[in-house]
Amino acid sequence: MTIQVAYSEKPQPQSAVSEISSQLSSSKPVAVFFFASPIFSPDEISSAMKNAFPEATVVGCSTAGEIVTGKMLKNSIVAMALESDEIEGIASDVIDLSDRKSPAKVAIDLAAKFGEKPMDLDVEKYIGMILIDGLSLGEEKVMERLGDILNITIIGGSAGDNLEFQKTWVYLEGKAYTNAAILTLIKPGCKFDIIKTQSFNRTEKILVPTSVDQEARGVHEFNGKPATEEYAAALGLPEDEISTRFMVNPVGLISGDEPFVRAPYRVEGKSIFFHCQVQKDIELELLTPIDIVEDTRRAILAMEEKVGAIKGLINFNCSERTCLLTQAQKCDEYGALFSDFPTVGFSTYGEELIGHMNNTATMLLFY
Amino acid sequence: MPGKIIELIDKLIEVRSNGNPSLESTTRTKLLLKGIDARKYTSSSEDDPVIIEKIYQISEEMCVKL
Repeated sequence: MTIQVAYSEKPQPQSAVSEISSQLSSSKPVAVFFFASPIFSPDEISSAMKNAFPEATVVGCSTAGEIVTGKMLKNSIVAMALESDEIEGIASDVIDLSDRKSPAKVAIDLAAKFGEKPMDLDVEKYIGMILIDGLSLGEEKVMERLGDILNITIIGGSAGDNLEFQKTWVYLEGKAYTNAAILTLIKPGCKFDIIKTQSFNRTEKILVPTSVDQEARGVHEFNGKPATEEYAAALGLPEDEISTRFMVNPVGLISGDEPFVRAPYRVEGKSIFFHCQVQKDIELELLTPIDIVEDTRRAILAMEEKVGAIKGLINFNCSERTCLLTQAQKCDEYGALFSDFPTVGFSTYGEELIGHMNNTATMLLFY
Repeated sequence: MPGKIIELIDKLIEVRSNGNPSLESTTRTKLLLKGIDARKYTSSSEDDPVIIEKIYQISEEMCVKL
């Protein structure tokens, strides 16, 4: 049986879930992943989804926009149902972000459900999916701690709330949580891979954070000078215009040839604050944008050439990319890139892959 | 004696990746995210005690005995 997806734009949780359930009536899922607009009451939507799929592991989160096969949506719920052909084993649990030891404990417990120690989980056989409160500022710590004790890939996204920035939610087995993350350990029954694309080019303009407030995600100085001055100089712009370029000219932490994007979003005095932590003395490179649709098209085509037909894809797409696509009136074009295979996803407040990043799309695909 | 930093980094990566090139690359990224840029160090790099201490701390976090 193929992976199936469904969506509903009905505004009432029960009606929306009934529509989802009806579209997936021929599926006997072992896992259901859903992404729901914050217009739905968190408790009601989570509970209704679990009631609709009592035999499945049901995991989800709130969003800043949804993605389903061929479409980008707003104020909807999207869901993917996976059967035992695609999911040989699955286990999920809640990470309490107020408890420093919680990520490791959850990773150990989930690995034990597969009879393994965390470090012994085979990277070719297992993958982790994480959905995390997008307003917690906790992504780096969780990803770092999980990365310390796991070799498997952890991919996912930070929950959103339609750019209201009030409260975001993660869902597991009928309950709703905030200041929490849901870690799901998956043993797929088919092959899997990942796509990471950020649609930026490197510029070779280097900014070294020489004075930072790591916890607050702030940079006071680049290259030993006030952060706003150096960022403006790198752009060749007056200092008072830099905030107009934050979305299109973020900076990248370069690993190999791959940028891990850190997005600036506000100025306070001469300091710049980011949606991601920045390490002192670690070089960052100014990035310049390329067309999101064309770049994503290339990434998908390259993956299809590598793996053949994609059976299903989960897209964690940054909400700032969605804003740029909306401004360019390219949401339909972007959605259409995902027409040929079952897709769900959402507009995120941050993307996870090895670590936490911004302005990126991380995608988990089955083939 | 210079070069201690890159020696420790190489050892940490070797142990953690166990010969898997994909894990080697991932481990380098994890180190970078923790504030250690392996590309900055060579066999002639000064033995900065602050960096050496940081690498030992990271190795402990990553369950690697150096």
